[in-house]
Formats: sequence, structure tokens, C-alpha cells
Amino acid sequence: MSKTRKTIILEGEEIEIYKGRSMAQETWRRLKRNKGAMIGIIFLVALMLATTVASFVYDYDKDIIAMSKDRFMPPSKDHILGTDNMGRDIFARVLYGAKYSLVISLGSTAIGLAVGLFLGALAGYYGGLIDNIVMRVTDIFYSIPYIMIAVVVVSMLGTSTMNLLLAMALGTFSNFARIGRASVMTVRDQEFIEAGRAIGLPTWKTIVKHVLPNCLSPIIVQTTLKVGSNIISASSLSFLGVGVTPPTPEWGAMLSDGRSYIRSSGWMCLFPGLAIMFTVLALNLLGDGLRDAMDPKLKR
Amino acid sequence: MEKVLEVKDLVVRYETDDGIVHAINGLSFSIDKERTLGLVGETGAGKTTAALSILNLVPDPPGVIAGGSIILDGKDVLSMGEKELERMRGNDVAMIFQDPMTALNPVIPVGQQIAESLEIHEGLSREEAMEKAKQMLEQVGISASRAYDYPHQLSGGMKQRVVIAIALACQPSLLIADEPTTALDVTIQAQVLSLMKGLIDNSHMSMLLITHDLGVVAEVCDDVAVMYAGRIVEIGSADDIFNHTLHPYTEGLFDSLPNLKARGEDLIPIKGLMPDPMHLPQGCSFHPRCPYATEACKTREPELKKAEGSHYVACIRYNESSFCLRRDKDAR
Amino acid sequence: MIPTLLVTSLLIFWAMDLAGGDPVNQILPENATYEQREILREQMGFNDPFMVRYFRYIGGILSGDMGKSYISGLDVFGTFMGRLHMTLLLGGSALIFACLISVPLGIYTALHQNTWKDTLATVLALFGVSMPNFWLGLMLILLFSLKLGWLPSGGTGGIQYLVLPAVTVGLSLAALLTRTTRSAMLDVIRQDYMTTAKAKGASYRRVIYNHGLRNAMIPIVTAVGMQFSYVMTGSALAETVFGWPGIGRLVVDSINKRDTPMVTGSIILCCVLMAIINLAVDIVYAFCDPRIKAQYSGRS
Repeated sequence: MSKTRKTIILEGEEIEIYKGRSMAQETWRRLKRNKGAMIGIIFLVALMLATTVASFVYDYDKDIIAMSKDRFMPPSKDHILGTDNMGRDIFARVLYGAKYSLVISLGSTAIGLAVGLFLGALAGYYGGLIDNIVMRVTDIFYSIPYIMIAVVVVSMLGTSTMNLLLAMALGTFSNFARIGRASVMTVRDQEFIEAGRAIGLPTWKTIVKHVLPNCLSPIIVQTTLKVGSNIISASSLSFLGVGVTPPTPEWGAMLSDGRSYIRSSGWMCLFPGLAIMFTVLALNLLGDGLRDAMDPKLKR
Repeated sequence: MEKVLEVKDLVVRYETDDGIVHAINGLSFSIDKERTLGLVGETGAGKTTAALSILNLVPDPPGVIAGGSIILDGKDVLSMGEKELERMRGNDVAMIFQDPMTALNPVIPVGQQIAESLEIHEGLSREEAMEKAKQMLEQVGISASRAYDYPHQLSGGMKQRVVIAIALACQPSLLIADEPTTALDVTIQAQVLSLMKGLIDNSHMSMLLITHDLGVVAEVCDDVAVMYAGRIVEIGSADDIFNHTLHPYTEGLFDSLPNLKARGEDLIPIKGLMPDPMHLPQGCSFHPRCPYATEACKTREPELKKAEGSHYVACIRYNESSFCLRRDKDAR
Repeated sequence: MIPTLLVTSLLIFWAMDLAGGDPVNQILPENATYEQREILREQMGFNDPFMVRYFRYIGGILSGDMGKSYISGLDVFGTFMGRLHMTLLLGGSALIFACLISVPLGIYTALHQNTWKDTLATVLALFGVSMPNFWLGLMLILLFSLKLGWLPSGGTGGIQYLVLPAVTVGLSLAALLTRTTRSAMLDVIRQDYMTTAKAKGASYRRVIYNHGLRNAMIPIVTAVGMQFSYVMTGSALAETVFGWPGIGRLVVDSINKRDTPMVTGSIILCCVLMAIINLAVDIVYAFCDPRIKAQYSGRS
């Protein structure tokens, strides 16, 4: 009997873990039935494999940025996606470039996620003045078009991949701050926080334990979709010349190159754009699938 | 006596991704003119689905009305065309919904929501309908000046009064009330109930009152039907059901009820839970929870059989001459 | 709104101060002497402390002077306003185009959920939101100007010059709004009050348009309101692709030329514009939702 009593809290934790696991299982079970989401996952896994293989097969200096005399070749047997204005193989560059797009969007989303959740939780937990300040700042970043934020940051810090990442994180964090704030606020005043305090648990510990499982599904869904939209943002910025610069084979930078030759060599514009579209499409399919799978209300 | 509504062998399923939910499995009952039938059962017995079926409003998909007939004034609701259904809904049969908080449209003034029925069925102009809607509001005890208020400006009890006014606007011959008082405070419940009863009696309507509250049934109903897992297990006059209980489930419902007059007495809950309508047990659906169940109950489905007069029961053991519920034994 | 704008302007002023480099280099020719530079610096107050310069700038704005471009010497406010109508024309027609497509399509797909038409439209919308819109612009040029020769590939003039840019911005927007409208409508048709309306004997049309759409308009208007920052971003990109002389291109060009007063002024004016638009959206919102109207007029 005394043993049971000692493990009450422990047991509570065990129940939590058990719950989490079964929720993940349930989500996966429903996700598996969603054709779109499965196509998305397969595409993303294949893309990651392909870009990993590509970075071994191709030599950056020789195959990716070096010039050759086969300039402006339309798609053919030798170059299935054709070559660009420097005679470089577009297929190799698109595959190799996936790495840049994925890393930049994943990185900026991760930074935005961490900063946003922290700020949002802070605002939701303390309320009052802190809440006001944080939310006003969030509002500012929310209402200014991300492109302007990014353009200002990049021109302030200089054009580099790291700065692009930072600039995009600034455009990303406000979404997550809202989620974090809302989830903390819904549990902040609930009775189990009071109960936790009664047995001597610090409030923030109870909050972390209860808030995280509660806001996990919106965060996962939002992250997936945000990674997708950040791929578009990154390529847009590169296209405007404030992101990754040529000759790096980032998709947006390739489009920026191709734009000058659109009259004669349309394929230079076509393929990097298709790569962006299909990757973002895969992420959106996965995000939509996750949202449907995690939202019990939508269960038909 | 003239029947207003006759439901026969109704079968309704919900075909979901996770499986088929057997909501209604051969439901039969009827309502006589100017009588009130109480449909009693636990949550999940299929009461609301039964009510929606009568208006042919079972959400489709996933709901499928797979069989049976619902005869209303000599016509089968299930074979009516869309135009006919529209003429019937709100005019011949009206419905009061369970939750007044969500049953009213939040962006339309309440007066206009009442007037809408009148515009549709009585061909009144907008102004005439609004005038009549104001009269309806007064009838349900709300000042006519609130006709231009939006639902969020009214209290829960007032919203339910508005829902009642919408239902009664066109003087339907049958009123279906789906747990009309469950979402309200106890004191408001009594008010709303007596209001409804008064209005029904005045306008010679019949009513199907769906509830899980036996107190409400005793108060309002002439006849009672007890529903379990999508079937009627016992049906009869209020006196039959309350004083001459025949089905073990009905007995269980009464035993679960706290008795204010005998306060020390233990409650006898029905053991177990309502079966999952996706996986109904074989034989009598109630047998896993029934204290009187025998081997035969596990395999044979009981039919609704006449006991006495208008009193019917669906229990295999009722046919045994020696069978007797504990309640009756105690009484002897 | 005013404090938000003050904070925003401070942030931008600070960022551009760090980013701008030495403004004297932009104004004077390269062979200017040290003395000439010093005199100009003193004249323009570049040697004053940061806060002094900031308040002088704000003071200038309050008296209607946002400074002059380093490059062209033109008045910032005047230049911005001279370009504003082009962006409003582009953004406005894109928005109208998007609403005309997306609202009916969203409603239609919601009402025909899970039919092949719904699936087709949903997939198309998903493609639409997965596309970078500058790339869509390039593809439209490729098809309609270069291959078919139906429409000009850039510049300004008659309505034919507006079509491609507006469709570029509008299609992505339409895809987004179709998704929003569809889910808003799906949400609404599951509500109890829709059953109440049907139970009254209201016809299908009446139920959908009188009861459903009036409620669905609330999230749709919100979505349209939130897309204005997207419209601005999209316009900036489309302006670059199509050589459309709007404010998006003004900002990007000014950044590339390190024209600090122009950038600072334009971004602050953009924020003012966004604030005005948000206010307008709030007013429309109040018309759609009596609960909010009541809040404004002080009734419960």
C-alpha cells in the first residue's frame, strides 16, 4: 500500500508516457490510410536520399560550379534536364541543391520554433506587461511582409546563408509564439496546476509537463507547413538577390540565373521551380495529413 | 385512436472509416393524436438518430437509412422528395434541439430566425412574419422588443425558449423535443418544461419527448418507450411502465434513480456500460448487463410482444410463466 | 497602433543605421576629399548620437518630411506615393481575381466533399499554394508571352500589361483562399444551427446561403485580411519579374543601392499601410459578426 502511494506521481508519469505512445500510434495508423500524406513522406525520403547520394557522386568544384562548353543544351540523353548558361548539368545542380533548400528551411524553422515557443510561453505564463510587450513585438513581425524583414536583416548583416537563415527565422517565430502563448494560457489557470503546487511542484514544471503534450499536435503540423513555406521564402529571397548567391546551386538562385535566359532556354527556369513545387507539395501533403490524423474532431 | 406517426422496423447505420455504427436496429413505435410519447434511454441508445430520421435529416454521409418506414399522416417520410420534405419540415413536424447554445444561428437576430419558418410555410411577407415572430416570443415569455437581439445576447433559458418558438411557429401537428432541458439549470428546466406542456395542450399537438430523465417523463408523458441499443425494449402507457414494469432494463433504470422519499436506500446501478454500437452483442443486446440473462438470451433476439393492452415488451424470459422481476417480487 | 508604429520605426531606423554603411559615400562622388566628406557629415547631422538622429527623423515625419533619397535626391514620401497606386492596382486586382475564383470554388468543394470534383479542386489548390509565385510568373511569361505571344511579358500600359502580374499574385492567393473557404464552409455545415435551419423546412439554397455563408464569411474575411501581407510580398516579387513599377520594387532597388532614407521611409510607410488595411478588415469583420459589432458599440 505504501509502495503504491509513493509511486503515485511516478505512475502519473507512466500514464503520461503510455498516453503519448498510443497517441503517436493512433496518429500513424490514420496517417497510413492517407494516400496524400504517404506520397509526401515517400517523396521527401527519396529526395533526402537522392541529395545525400548526389553529394557523394558529384564533386562540388568540378560538377556543380565549374564551367563547360556545353552551354544552353536543351534536355537530352546526356543531360536529362539540359544545361545552363555556364554549361553545367541542371539535373546534378537540382539534386545537389536540395540540400541547401532543406537545410535553410529546416534550420530557420527550428530557430523560429524554439524562440517563438519560448517567448509565447513566457507571455502566456506571466501575462500582464510581459505578455503585452511580447505580443506587440510578435504582431509587428506578423504584419510586416516577411520579405521586408528579411531584406532589412540581410542588408544589415550582409548576404550569407547564415544571415538568410536568421532573417527567415525572424519571419517564422511569430506563428509559434502564438501557439505557445495560447497553449500555456489554456492550462495556466486549470486546477491541476493548483494541485501540483499543493504537493510542492514548481508551477513551471507542471506547465512544461502538461503544456507540451497539449500543444504538440499544432506544433508538429505548423512546423511541417512552415518548413514548406520557408523553402518558398528562401528561394524568393535568393531570386531577389538577397539570399544565397550564385554559383551556389540553391533553387531560387538557379531561377534567378535562368530568368535572364528565359527567352532562349526556358528549361533553366522550369526545372528548379518544379523541384521547389514538388518538395513544398510533399510537405503540404504531409502537413495536411498530420492535421487530419491528429485532430480527433475531424474523424469522420 | 388516430395515429400521427408510425415508425416501423427502422434501421439506420453510420458508415465511418473505423467501421459501421449500428445506431438503430429495427425500431418500431407510434404516437397517437394529442398524446405525448416519452422516448427514454441512455446516451448512445440512438434516440437523437431516431428523431432526425423522422425529419429525414440523418447526416448523409456517413448516415444511411437502410430500411423501415416512417409513416406521417399516411405518407412515408423516407420516400418523400426534397420539395415534399421541405414542406413537411417545420410545418407538420418541428424539432426542438438539445443544446440551445449551438442550435441558434449566431449571426441572425432571433426574431428573424423565428420569422423564417413563417416566411417559408405560410407565405408571409418579411414584415408580417416578423410581427408574428414577436407574438411567438411573447407566447414563450420573452419581450417582443428582444426580437432584434442576437443569440449571444440571451441567456441559455431564453435561447431555449426561442428554439421552442421557432418549432411552434407554424403550429405543427407533431413536435419532437430532443432532450430539451438537459443543457439548462434545474430551475430553468422546470419553467421550460411547463411552458412546453402548456403550449402543447393549448394547440392540440402530439409530442415525442426524448430524454434520459425519468422524472421529466413522469411529469409530461402519456406514453413511454424505453430504448436500448437502437431498439425498443418496452413500450406502454406511463402507468404500464412505471407501475407494471416488465423489462429488466427498465427495472434497472428505475433502480438507478435516487428516491427522495426513501433516502437511506442503496442505489442499484446497472452493471457495465452501453455496448459499443460498432460491435453489438449477439442475441439480446442487453444480455451482458442483465441480471436475469440465460443461455438463450445470448443467441436469440427477442421480439417486441404484446403483454397487455397497449403494453409491449421485448424479453425472451417474459414468456416464462414463472418469470418475475425482483421489483414485483418485493411488491408482493 | 501609434506605439506599434513608433517601435517599428525605431527598429527599422536602427537596423538601417547599422546596415547603411557610410551614407556620405553614396552622396558624394568617389574623388571627394576628406574635408568635403566631413563638412557634409556635419551638415546632415550624421555625427550626432543615434537617438538624436532618430527623434529628428520622427520630428521630420510629423512635419511631413521623410527625407530625400541619397541617390536621386527626390523626396521619399513623394516617390513612395507616386508608386503606391501601381502596387494597389496590382494587389487589388489580384485580390479581386482571387476572391472571384476561390470563394465560389471553396463553397462548391465543401458542399461536394469527397467527390472527384472536390478532390481535383483540392489537389489543384494544393499545387497552387506549393508554388513560388515568382516562378509561376516566369512560367506564365514562358507560355503566354513567349510561346503564344498573347500578352506582354512586362512593363506598363493598357490592361493587357496588368493581366499576367495580377494572375501571378492572384492564383497563389486564390489557392490559399480556396482552402480556407472550403474548411470554413465544412466547419459551418456541421454546426447544429444548420440542422435547425433544415428542420424549419428551409430549402437547400436558403440553408447554404442564408445560414451557412453568413457564418463562413467570418473566417473567410479574416483569412483575406491576413493575406494582405502576402499580397504585398507577392506583389514585390511579381513587380520584379514583370518590371512593374510599384513599391515592392522600389524597396528592393533601394536596398540594392543602399539608399537608406528611401528604404527606411518606404518600410515605415508600408507598415502604416498595413495598419490601415488591418483597421479596414476589422471594420468589415464587425459587419459580418454581430458579436464583435456589439463589442465595439459597447453592448454585451
